[in-house]
Amino acid sequence: MAIKELIEARWKAIICGLIALVLVEVSTATYGLFKSALNTSNMQQLPQFLQQQMQQMTGSYDLYVWGNWFAKNGPEIMVIMAIVLGAGLIAGEVNKGTIFFLLGKPISRERVLLIKYAISALILLAISAISCIALLVTAAIAGHPQNIGGVVISTFLLWLGVLFGLGLALLFSVFFKDALWPLICALVITLLTVIPSFIPDWGAWNLISYWSNQAVYMGQGFPAKEFAICLVAAVVPLILALALFRKRAF
Amino acid sequence: MNEQQSTLTTGPNESYLENKQAIAIDIQDLVVKYGSKRAVDGLTFTVPIGSIFGFLGPNGSGKTTTIKTLLGFRPPNAGGARVFGYDVASQSLQVRGRVGYVSETNSLYDFLTIPQLCAFCRSVSQEWDQQVVDRYIGLFGLPPKEKVGNLSKGMKSQLALSLALGSNPDLLILDEPTAGLDPMARHEFLNTLVSEVASRGKTIFFSSHILSEVEAVADWVAIIRSGKLVLCDELNHLKQAKKVVKLTYVDIPPATEIETLRCLPEVMNLAQEGRSVRLLTHGNVDILEQSLKTRPYTLRDVETVDLNLEDLFLESMKEVDHGH
Repeated sequence: MAIKELIEARWKAIICGLIALVLVEVSTATYGLFKSALNTSNMQQLPQFLQQQMQQMTGSYDLYVWGNWFAKNGPEIMVIMAIVLGAGLIAGEVNKGTIFFLLGKPISRERVLLIKYAISALILLAISAISCIALLVTAAIAGHPQNIGGVVISTFLLWLGVLFGLGLALLFSVFFKDALWPLICALVITLLTVIPSFIPDWGAWNLISYWSNQAVYMGQGFPAKEFAICLVAAVVPLILALALFRKRAF
Repeated sequence: MNEQQSTLTTGPNESYLENKQAIAIDIQDLVVKYGSKRAVDGLTFTVPIGSIFGFLGPNGSGKTTTIKTLLGFRPPNAGGARVFGYDVASQSLQVRGRVGYVSETNSLYDFLTIPQLCAFCRSVSQEWDQQVVDRYIGLFGLPPKEKVGNLSKGMKSQLALSLALGSNPDLLILDEPTAGLDPMARHEFLNTLVSEVASRGKTIFFSSHILSEVEAVADWVAIIRSGKLVLCDELNHLKQAKKVVKLTYVDIPPATEIETLRCLPEVMNLAQEGRSVRLLTHGNVDILEQSLKTRPYTLRDVETVDLNLEDLFLESMKEVDHGH
């Protein structure tokens, strides 16, 4: 069954992998370009606070890469990929009518769901790993070798974080009959989790803020709290999806 | 789950098997609802092992819902069903381990090739015999390496049947298996069912609304309407139980004669057209023929005709309409 899931998801995985690769390159290889832009007369015309922000970002290569990939582009693109992969897992089978072929076999619903989830999670892990390698190689070529441990742990944390999106999409995929609604619902709920970051003193409730950690990227400590939060956030929608799928009538 | 269901949740224990050894499917007071609508409404019947069982009914009568419940896709709201002694609600995995199923839509994974689809089925089946699948693929003349998406609808039906047989099931459940097939493909499919599958002692339970195909292959039939059982019996027995007697009078019979005929105990239904009178009868036709000889009006011809399944079906529907 795993092979079937891999074959089914192969084009999505390839496209997502390529997009991630391009974004990693954009996030890492543009440092020089950005830094030189800061010195031009055009940049001087920008408001003071923007100039300050950009100067902070380009203060060091490591900070620039972390800010661009792990704090911004990485979570955004990876969670969209997770939702795209998860939205069709069950709803796609229902929509095409293959759910009856699948569930007519002597295989438990729990196994069906977990295999589908595991394959999607592995695809996301593979995309994360490719991005991680691309980041390390590009940085090394640019003459800014990165802390390998920090990059690997940050990549793993990001992957664990976006499993929340995958679980959410899977949960809605069990509920709806086509892949569009799970996609929309999962995206909306993921966006809603960012709202606390706009409320003073509520920043700790912003789930996505736990998907990356600057200190860890710089090789300072292990993000146990972030890992625990991401793990719980990933497991809860999966458990709900399992419970719903077990009861779902077709 | 209600009380009735909970009484059905034990395994296929010995006492059950002793009593029900010859039964493949045992449906008892089954109720399945979609919201407040009862799609299956107190259905009770059994399917003997080794039979080819035609499950008939108009569109929307509850055939597919019954099959979905047997396979655990939908839970019963009341009552229950057992397949080879296993409760369909609580032991669905064991049920599906002994059942080969071909769905109404024949939806297979179009992006896989036939060998990939076989590998998938092998990975999710408790028992798998690739030689059996290869034999049926050869028998149907399917291109063995082709992508499923490139097959015609008829070929997909044949492939679905081949795959269903790969797990060596004791019971085949086919939901409208020939729907959408051309007459040739339908003939080939049914021929294979009878000559290859049923002759090996497997039980076949198939739903259809094409009565001629059911009559050609089935030895048992059940007819449902609005989720309720209309009749369930051996096809031969049904045909023996009801016959049509066509009377042709020399002159047009008077209304009193028609009323007298209608009151005869063997007559279930009567239709007159000029000098011809068509009697639907049950019971002994010989007795009826004897009583006809005593009638005062001269008969030119008396002909007894066996009912075909279509007649039986229509008569059953009429009986339901008239509230019998």
